Amino acid sequence: MAEVGEITEGCRLPVLRRNQDNEDEWPLAEILSVKDISGRKLFYVHYIDFNKRLDEWVTHERLDLKKIQFPKKEAKTPTKNGLPGSRPGSPEREVPASAQASGKTLPIPVQITLRFNLPKEREAIPGGEPDQPLSSSSCLQPNHRSTKRKVEVVSPATPVPSETAPASVFPQNGSARRAVAAQPGRKRKSNCLGTDEDSQDSSDGIPSAPRMTGSLVSDRSHDDIVTRMKNIECIELGRHRLKPWYFSPYPQELTTLPVLYLCEFCLKYGRSLKCLQRHLTKCDLRHPPGNEIYRKGTISFFEIDGRKNKSYSQNLCLLAKCFLDHKTLYYDTDPFLFYVMTEYDCKGFHIVGYFSKEKESTEDYNVACILTLPPYQRRGYGKLLIEFSYELSKVEGKTGTPEKPLSDLGLLSYRSYWSQTILEILMGLKSESGERPQITINEISEITSIKKEDVISTLQYLNLINYYKGQYILTLSEDIVDGHERAMLKRLLRIDSKCLHFTPKDWSKRGKW
Amino acid sequence: MEKEEESEHHLQRAISAQQVFREKKENMVIPVPEAESNVNYYNRLYKGEFKQPKQFIHIQPFNLDNEQPDYDMDSEDETLLNRLNRKMEIKPLQFEIMIDRLEKASSNQLVTLQEAKLLLNEDDYLIKAVYDYWVRKRKNCRGPSLIPQIKQEKRDGSTNNDPYVAFRRRTEKMQTRKNRKNDEASYEKMLKLRREFSRAITILEMIKRREKTKRELLHLTLEVVEKRYHLGDYGGEILNEVKINRSEKDLYTTPATLHNGNHHKVQECKTKHPHHLSLKEEASDVVRQKKKYPKKPKAEALITSQQSTPETLPVINKSDIKQYDFHSSDEDEFPQVPSPVSEPEEENDPDGPCAFRRRAGCQYYAPRLDQGNHLCENPELADLDKLRYRHCLTTLTVPRRCIGFARRRIGRGGRVIMDRISTEHDPVLKQIDPEMLNSFSSSSQTIDLSPNFSRTNSSSKHCENRLSLSEILSNIRSCRLQCFQPRLLNLQDSDSEECTSRKPGQTVNNKRVSAASVALLSTSKNGISVTGGITEEQFQTHQQQLVQMQRQQLAQLQQKQQSQHSSQQTHPKAQGSSTSDCMSKTLDSASAHFAASAVVSAPVPSRSEVAKEQNTGHNNINGVVQPSGTSKTLYSTNMALSSSPGISAVQLVRTVGHTTTNHLIPALCTSSPQTLPMNNSCLTNAVHLNNVSVVSPVNVHINTRTSAPSPTALKLATVAASMDRVPKVTPSSAISSITRENHEPERLGLNGIAETTVAMEVT
Repeated sequence: MAEVGEITEGCRLPVLRRNQDNEDEWPLAEILSVKDISGRKLFYVHYIDFNKRLDEWVTHERLDLKKIQFPKKEAKTPTKNGLPGSRPGSPEREVPASAQASGKTLPIPVQITLRFNLPKEREAIPGGEPDQPLSSSSCLQPNHRSTKRKVEVVSPATPVPSETAPASVFPQNGSARRAVAAQPGRKRKSNCLGTDEDSQDSSDGIPSAPRMTGSLVSDRSHDDIVTRMKNIECIELGRHRLKPWYFSPYPQELTTLPVLYLCEFCLKYGRSLKCLQRHLTKCDLRHPPGNEIYRKGTISFFEIDGRKNKSYSQNLCLLAKCFLDHKTLYYDTDPFLFYVMTEYDCKGFHIVGYFSKEKESTEDYNVACILTLPPYQRRGYGKLLIEFSYELSKVEGKTGTPEKPLSDLGLLSYRSYWSQTILEILMGLKSESGERPQITINEISEITSIKKEDVISTLQYLNLINYYKGQYILTLSEDIVDGHERAMLKRLLRIDSKCLHFTPKDWSKRGKW
Repeated sequence: MEKEEESEHHLQRAISAQQVFREKKENMVIPVPEAESNVNYYNRLYKGEFKQPKQFIHIQPFNLDNEQPDYDMDSEDETLLNRLNRKMEIKPLQFEIMIDRLEKASSNQLVTLQEAKLLLNEDDYLIKAVYDYWVRKRKNCRGPSLIPQIKQEKRDGSTNNDPYVAFRRRTEKMQTRKNRKNDEASYEKMLKLRREFSRAITILEMIKRREKTKRELLHLTLEVVEKRYHLGDYGGEILNEVKINRSEKDLYTTPATLHNGNHHKVQECKTKHPHHLSLKEEASDVVRQKKKYPKKPKAEALITSQQSTPETLPVINKSDIKQYDFHSSDEDEFPQVPSPVSEPEEENDPDGPCAFRRRAGCQYYAPRLDQGNHLCENPELADLDKLRYRHCLTTLTVPRRCIGFARRRIGRGGRVIMDRISTEHDPVLKQIDPEMLNSFSSSSQTIDLSPNFSRTNSSSKHCENRLSLSEILSNIRSCRLQCFQPRLLNLQDSDSEECTSRKPGQTVNNKRVSAASVALLSTSKNGISVTGGITEEQFQTHQQQLVQMQRQQLAQLQQKQQSQHSSQQTHPKAQGSSTSDCMSKTLDSASAHFAASAVVSAPVPSRSEVAKEQNTGHNNINGVVQPSGTSKTLYSTNMALSSSPGISAVQLVRTVGHTTTNHLIPALCTSSPQTLPMNNSCLTNAVHLNNVSVVSPVNVHINTRTSAPSPTALKLATVAASMDRVPKVTPSSAISSITRENHEPERLGLNGIAETTVAMEVT
């Protein structure tokens, strides 16, 4: 049992937390900071294995001092480094992870699941195509080949010949997966999801400054204790009061304010309600200061040039940074365009979310940062933003992919969007003259503007790719179809490409962005 | 998402939920901090309504509506405002503007009250109140500014890791390869553009120069025509005379040709071409080459020089524009300089390697005896030839400096080309002050009394000398080293008698030639050689004076001329005719010459009286022989001399006559017809004197200079003396300048002579 006064940064101990189900939990947490406010000590805790956005200031009553672990003397990662708590590596973390994975009745290790190293390829390659060399990157080869070959889509709607419907094609029972899991020791580097690539590459080498392209940092070498902690307590934006999730470099003198007041339309920050009132007498904006390029119903999109409208772009980034962990504001906003989604009511066009996009992307990124403001989350706006970004790519005639790394929510949203979009296409395929419909990965990519790699990863994630009798087939299981149909019923907000008035600019021909 | 984040509890749960249930359950959602949308004063805050326009909203780029202050008043300010409002009216916006200005005007250092007053256009009391309030508030403010602002990066890089610094400038532009390629291409284009522009500039400059030269030529031509008109030289006799004179000079020295060439060079060139057919021509061609290449044997050079000169003669009549070339430096060494003239015998070897055969339809000038002789006969002469072709110390008049060793030759179109040779003494030579040389040379001139002898000696001694560094000056002083300088007047006596006697067949030209050749070694050139670079203005100014002087002199001159005339060799027809025609004119011209000569002499005021006399003699001679280019240059000293020109001339003449009766120059004879005999005598005397003086400085090389160059030298001298003059004017060959400068009559006379001489040659 330790005294409250002994609690220092780096200590780990269970902290009382109430979960979504209103149940009390005592997850392990790390003390990141201690402050003293009028005699009461407050502790900034990071719940290990929980996202940083849930970090919070707690009083000592919520700390389970009996189980406190003091930081090791020779802390592998000094506190200043900022990496210790959130980095995996302590054994206690992996135990629950694996336990969790197994508890979910998923026969494969979690990591592998995450990387979408699906078993099918492994089964299929040695069996069906012996002449194909098995290399470390073999997981990609079927993908490449599939771009050349037609992939048969086998859906429940189309009766599958009896001989083509072996159990392995429909892996509901998981037995097939188990076979794969038999060789878990063989780690394969997954190229299927850029996310992993990025994070792995960035872990070695500490650059002095973030890369100049893109607006997301994938390495956290600059993370220090300051940026690991939220610095704004509350933001008032229009009707909404937002609790920031992450650090944002608003002027430091504003971080002590209980509430930061933002102008809903120009996003300018003020230190008090009075300031906001005064500001509103001078600010006549009722919509984002850009050109409206899409409007359907109450939903509109505005395009803002990060170079021409610096103050708005910066204010938007500051606000967005409150909810995007990996976003970097290191550099100016010049090379970006900002697409702000608004919802109109009688007061004006209220910002719902936005995504930013490089004017010239060398890596096929069509989104740099993407955010739905918390009050609008879980209502389909995120997917609307994603869909809109792909609509723009369609107009541009390019395929695109979001800049990495994706956040957890981003990953879920994107994966959901990709799944729904691809399934939509697959289920829309009609069989011609009794033949099974055929489509290539490239075709899917072209139709949807989803980058090929993302299509492949999605197909793999959905477990649709099977290898049967020398060719790849996509099999849509009943539950997938059902799940898709249910999801699409809920997805009411869609982008209408007819309402988009957008002419892409060729920024490469301009001297400046 | 970072690797460690992949294992986050809620994400895992959500992912697995998605996979298992194909859709998210409510409790599987990733939890996020709460957000409320219950700001109840929203409607009060955001007043008014905004109607959605039918059209898409389009923002005008850079729509700068009225600048609103960035500062927003807070409640603390409001209380102040309320307080202030009791005494005066101040609106919130007004207050905000004031604070805004104060904030933006001050960085780390707050603005002072004085500055604030300048900054704010308000009542002093209000300013004071607001300012005090602002200072107080600013001190309490934790931030750097009352207007909250994003931290800016600092250049020293200290803020590179400051988490609160955002939106740093991108030092490097993101550039795709395409852009880079464009940059390179455009850069190369710019380079090319620059190159081409600079080339255009040079071309334009050259064009400008050419046009200027053309204009100059036009003016000169005009002048010539005018003067000829004044002289009544409608038949071109005077002109021809002048040309002949010049041709003589050419014979002896390239510079002479140059001078003549000023008027007629082009023609010369033309004439030369026809000659090519003849052997002589061939020889001349050869010679030419030799001229260019200094090392070629004398003989050829001599031949060439001879030939070239005859060729030039016919040209004379056609004065081409091209002739007007301006030579900044007259002194050349000349390849062409005739070898020591004294031995006429050498000249005429009918059997010589380059025997002359006439060609039908061609006009030929008489060959130069002296040069021809040089060929191979005497070893001494050979040496002399070497000397002739060798480089010698040369000084330019404009710019005034010593250019080291150089050799003068005549290039195409009569241009004078200085072939410079680099020696180890160059650095030393460059330091030589031309003025010093002048003094030396002058002194040297005075020193050398016996023209031929002294010259030859000096030449032989020092021709080959590569000056030892510091000894150069001493050498020059002692006249061992030859140095060409513009100032010197080279009038040389030629043993016309000998020449004529030996080669009876030769016409006046021959005589002239011989004289010229003599001049080369020791003899002086004809008076013709006298040249003075004269600018038009000078000419005009002096004309009047000259006229007066001429009148004064007339009587005396006539008498003396007559007396001397008898003594001189009279030349055949030409003289007679010309003399008769031009008598009256010649008198004038003579006087003019006289004056001119005086002028010329003036340049060297320091000289002893004797020298002066000599100079004057020169001038006189020059003047007599040709229009006095000297008239251009009026020096105070000259003026003095010129003021009493007649007397001085007389004196000179007398003296000269006493001293040098022998040295009557054929040229003088030629000129004599025009000018009075008295002039001739004067000339001769002067020539003699000149020869002595001039020759000595020039030395062997000087031959060229003395012979032909003497005029040029005069010109140069005059030019140098009168700094005002433009080199261009001077460059014109001495004769031309002289002709120009001199009053037409003289020239005419000369021309006439030339013509006559030409005729003689032809025959």
